[in-house]
Amino acid sequence: MKKFFYFLILFVPAHAYCQPNCNVYKMNNDESCYKACILATEAEASQGTKRSQLQFDKAIELCPSLDYAYFEKAVPYLKRGDFITWKKLIDKAVELNPKGHLGYRGWCRYQFLRDYRGAILDFERLDSIISYDIGYSANGDYHLNVAKALCYKAIGDKHRANEIIQNQLTQKDYSPMPYDYLHLGVLKMEIGDLNGGIDCLKKSIEINDYLAEPYYYLGLIYKKQKKSKEYKENMEKAKSYYLKGYKCLDLYTHIMDKIYLADIEKELKINN
Amino acid sequence: MRYIMLISFFLVALYSCGQEVANKTDYPLQVGDIHFDPKIDDPNFTLCDQNNVWQYYNFAKGLQYNGEKARIVEHFINKLKVKEHEVESGFLTIRFIVNCKGQTGRYRLQGMDKDYQAKVFNEYLTSQLVKLTKQLDGWIVGQYQGKTYDYYQYLTFKIEKGKLVEIMP
Repeated sequence: MKKFFYFLILFVPAHAYCQPNCNVYKMNNDESCYKACILATEAEASQGTKRSQLQFDKAIELCPSLDYAYFEKAVPYLKRGDFITWKKLIDKAVELNPKGHLGYRGWCRYQFLRDYRGAILDFERLDSIISYDIGYSANGDYHLNVAKALCYKAIGDKHRANEIIQNQLTQKDYSPMPYDYLHLGVLKMEIGDLNGGIDCLKKSIEINDYLAEPYYYLGLIYKKQKKSKEYKENMEKAKSYYLKGYKCLDLYTHIMDKIYLADIEKELKINN
Repeated sequence: MRYIMLISFFLVALYSCGQEVANKTDYPLQVGDIHFDPKIDDPNFTLCDQNNVWQYYNFAKGLQYNGEKARIVEHFINKLKVKEHEVESGFLTIRFIVNCKGQTGRYRLQGMDKDYQAKVFNEYLTSQLVKLTKQLDGWIVGQYQGKTYDYYQYLTFKIEKGKLVEIMP
């Protein structure tokens, strides 16, 4: 049992990008890195402040191999649009701990910059150096394989994107994330599998009926199928959901396949 | 010619103001703070509380604009003129403050190539994006628990071969 706990303390943090377990350094009698780790974890609480950034610098000075300090120091630059500085810092974190940060960097390249090719490179590099699951996005909304699929879709490889998402959904013990079936439904619609699209969008509603988007895309499919009653019903429902605030939302940026009220109103206007 | 030189100087000045070096230790009070610069900023643009400027994401509502982001995209798509045979690619970020009255000011630029290195885009494209960004007049006042706040906002333009392909956030 004791060995099992040591295993947890020593190895679990190496594969996570949440707060590090500073006791690892203490157990290895590395006082400098222990102090640095404590400083860095404390600094995270006041993200973006001068005091916090200086504290990360101090941590890096004490323990230059502390990837967590680079990673956390980078975050406010990302959120505030200074992508050059963010990249320099996150690259350093990746260099020190690729398994811990490649997935995150790839996700941010996708989420904040729509740097699809860069994100794919990071996701695939991570996949090539680990033997376990590549994990989830920093906001918890996506499995990184689904994010990778969306990147492939954006660069024009929709069939590959379709395969990746379908494959992810069949993985043992995988629970679909809130937008998985929405994206898959839209993809199927885009590649001409309209009935497949309907099935996925209905599944999306079954799993998470707090989004206007599946109704909107269902409406578009019914429009293609010339089912005007179903088209109109779904567009009206999309509008009522949207006005209630039931829509794709990301605090920092927009979600792929997100719609706006203007999109719905345009459809309703054309067909009234 | 004189006009082009003045514009170029202005853009370089804006660009350089937006930079912070990764290992620099003279940090502002908050990462990304934009201080008034009499050389480039409108003195008539004022803040409600210069010591408490929020970030757009602090309101937990995403980008706040009348007509939503769709209207911003429409504005740029309809008005941005693109030259043929243009080859420039990368990202151009324009950051600014939306004050508690919904007015904007203190614009700063950061150009970046596809490898995340600093880049100065051509003046034709840059000046249009700056001008069009300044024309946006639907920014929603930041509010939290009944109080209004000034906040930082940015727009990042993803450019591929001179064409605007995405606007973030």
